[in-house]
Amino acid sequence: MVRETYLQQLALLKESVLSLGELAEKILHDSMESVINLDLELARETLDLEPKADRLEYKIEVTINDLIALQQPLAGDLRLVVSALKISADLRRIVGLSINIAKIPGKIEGGHLKPLVDTRRMGDIAEEMLANSLKAFETRDPDLAKGTAALDDDVDKLFYSVWVELIEMMAKDPSIVSKATHLLFLIRYLERIADHCCNVCESVVYLSTAERIKLN
Amino acid sequence: MTEAIQNVANPQIEVKDLNLWYGDKQALKNVSIQIPKNSVTAFIGPSGCGKSTFIRCLNRMNDLIKSCRIEGEVSIEGKDIYGPGVDVVDLRKQVGMVFQKPNPFPMSIYDNIAYGPRIHGVNKKDLEGVVEHALRSAALWDEISDRIRSPAFSLSGGQQQRLCIARTMAVKPEIILFDEPCSALDPISTAKIEELIMNLKKDYTIVIVTHNMQQAARISDHTAFFLMGELIEFGKTRQIFENPGEKSTEDYITGRFG
Repeated sequence: MVRETYLQQLALLKESVLSLGELAEKILHDSMESVINLDLELARETLDLEPKADRLEYKIEVTINDLIALQQPLAGDLRLVVSALKISADLRRIVGLSINIAKIPGKIEGGHLKPLVDTRRMGDIAEEMLANSLKAFETRDPDLAKGTAALDDDVDKLFYSVWVELIEMMAKDPSIVSKATHLLFLIRYLERIADHCCNVCESVVYLSTAERIKLN
Repeated sequence: MTEAIQNVANPQIEVKDLNLWYGDKQALKNVSIQIPKNSVTAFIGPSGCGKSTFIRCLNRMNDLIKSCRIEGEVSIEGKDIYGPGVDVVDLRKQVGMVFQKPNPFPMSIYDNIAYGPRIHGVNKKDLEGVVEHALRSAALWDEISDRIRSPAFSLSGGQQQRLCIARTMAVKPEIILFDEPCSALDPISTAKIEELIMNLKKDYTIVIVTHNMQQAARISDHTAFFLMGELIEFGKTRQIFENPGEKSTEDYITGRFG
């Protein structure tokens, strides 16, 4: 096999993106657990993971720079490099939004206004979308990517229904505005995370088929 | 093969079922391709794949090789160039060629360019204009206009190659074949020739063989990939380099073999 070093670099790039993805999955999952259970200890542990995501993102960027500058990837390799660059940016945003979620438990005094049933459901779907989009990236599966992005509609529906519910609650009882606002931000973060998962799915479709499509 | 290329709207060169042997060794196998007019078509593939042999069929340069036998059809502007009554000298005027190593004649810059037009009967009074026009078209005039009576060998390698391109253009061909025109040149000279080739396509049909895949990607509109005498894939350059249809094309351009 020729270009051994090059192929190793490509494999390293894919691995690094998957590592960042795995970390994003953990941060999203733990931040949701911490906010639902108002678990300050778990929230703090989650916040501590952010620098690790920065290091991985940096490593991916350097690998991509080296590949483009020194190896001039083409065809499927070029698509891997382009999609890895975009996917890593989306994953880093998912980490950032999840970190925002993990900051909420520290701001809520006493318990939640209401059981977070729909919000938890949003979190579960977002986690499922993230896991499947990463799997689609790993296996270059455009169908899985498209199916995964379709879940975004469910997240959007839940977002609007919780949003309306919270606005109505605030209108009735202005004393809850502070707590309710944190929950509004929480659902907004989840909705954005689902959008970033859709972006990952779009990159996977490009990676697998060279087609540029919009999925949300 | 990619759909875009099955029916070229304006083919200038049409090749059908071309087979070529050097003695017992078959170097081209059933090659069929349509090369569009006023565009740059690049031929890539590993050494010995038949790409140079192929372009040498387009102006019958292979006729000069004794053991060479050709079957199939090659037509230019609808005319079979291997048909009876074809004047090979006229054909090579219509289909010019630039080679890997610059090969100026051992005479002045001016005479290098004037050589072809003189043979083809251009008037002495028109000759100067023809020479200047060719040198300008080859983006060489500004660099050497004050010394066109100097020996061609006083030019740098890159300038010599542009001189050879100017010499080719001076006899007003319709098609110019380039066989690895930059492989002996430095990056700056290479960039100049590449820029030149891209500008020339408005007046000429350009066919180029290159080992430099980035060069094919940079300058060509269409790319053909050859492997072991066969045309494996022919498509728009963007598609070949972003999403080739054949695995062997992808393996070659990404350096997995070759």
